[in-house]
Amino acid sequence: MTFFSFTLLYWFLYFTKLTIKSIGRMFVINDMNSANYGACPECDLLINLAQPIIGDKVHCPRCGFLLAHPRKKSIEHTFSLSIAGLILFFPANLLPMMGIEVMGESTNGVLFSGVMALFNKNMWPVAIIVFLASILFPLVHILLSLLISGHLYFNRSNRYLTCWMRWMQHLDEWVMLEVYMLGIIVACVKLMALAQVEFGWGLYAFIALLIITGMLTSKLDNELFWRRIGQLNKEHNN
Amino acid sequence: MKQGFIRCHDCGNLVKIVDKFSQCPRCDSHLHSRSPYSLQRTAAFLISGILLYIPANVFPIMTVDQFGVGEPHTIMGGIIELIDSNMLPIALLVLVASILVPLFKLIGLSLLLLSVYFRWQINARFWTVMYRIIAFVGRWSMLDIFIISILVDLVNLGGVAQIIAGPAAIAFAAVVILTMFAAKNFDPRLLWDNQQNL
Ligand SMILES: [Zn+2]
Ligand SMILES: [Zn+2]
Repeated sequence: MTFFSFTLLYWFLYFTKLTIKSIGRMFVINDMNSANYGACPECDLLINLAQPIIGDKVHCPRCGFLLAHPRKKSIEHTFSLSIAGLILFFPANLLPMMGIEVMGESTNGVLFSGVMALFNKNMWPVAIIVFLASILFPLVHILLSLLISGHLYFNRSNRYLTCWMRWMQHLDEWVMLEVYMLGIIVACVKLMALAQVEFGWGLYAFIALLIITGMLTSKLDNELFWRRIGQLNKEHNN
Repeated sequence: MKQGFIRCHDCGNLVKIVDKFSQCPRCDSHLHSRSPYSLQRTAAFLISGILLYIPANVFPIMTVDQFGVGEPHTIMGGIIELIDSNMLPIALLVLVASILVPLFKLIGLSLLLLSVYFRWQINARFWTVMYRIIAFVGRWSMLDIFIISILVDLVNLGGVAQIIAGPAAIAFAAVVILTMFAAKNFDPRLLWDNQQNL
């Protein structure tokens, strides 16, 4: 029961975040002379991003794209959240997540054993996809955000920063922990009709990891990160 | 772009166009005013996605093996069975994630491609929002694949009961990945370029 209330709470928070839209300040401009301008990535309208207020959301006036959403202490929060995520990653993957018991026989599984089960049954293309989306990409994403925010936090410059940042942005879409969570819920409901389902500590760690990665993506301010990386590289070159 | 600036597709920096093959000063990636070969790439991924969508729905996605008697299910068969066993909410969830969403994506992306290719005068704002929805819901179709991986792993009780993934699982996973690539390669700015009365 605690498991379901946890997940329900998570979904609730997730969707309120998506639905609440506060339209921030925006100015459409005709002449350009400062570096404050940006172009909308989806319709290429030129926009003056004159210091959006922290916590505000700036949408494109033409197509409604969320242009900027600066958050308080983005670098500090990203740094601490990615450390927490990295620590949680191990129990979430190593401890058994859930098990079933039918007629005295019981099995239980971790994230990786699902991949191995598919692999052993000649389903290796599917196994690889599941492995990438639920284990490798989340780990790489957390590691990259830890590296980047660590470098920015301690004001260290590194010539791979831009490369890491680019990879992190591309990976973001392929981290599918929340979809996996929904898969666990559906599989549980299906199995409950047939057998006794037990939840292990791995599942709780997984839910915590899911919440951490959710917070991580919502705290991460790409625009600020790129700006800081640009500054650091400039200082380094001079 | 008209005003002589290019937005870097990686870091969002605005760069003044100097020569044709320039690099972004902030992140060193190559600058393009529009994603290169956006239409061709999207079309290629989309067509292979549509072709694979057929085997994904025709072949069985998993086989429930109870006491040695195998019972193959297609995606639709699995949903009907869920409805029969009074699990309507779950059935609806699976229906949306594994049939409606891929279908919506395939049709939506085809319409987007056609409207750019034939320069239809459409409501660009509406279709940009459409594109955003397509790009957002794409990942949720992986739901069925994850469910199968969990079930195959857990329901493995030797002779009593066993679940085996079917060939449609590969086709279905490929459809999801291909449509995600198609959506990623489509450049919504092309929709705006074609509108004359802006
Ligand atoms: Zn826009
Ligand atoms: Zn750049």
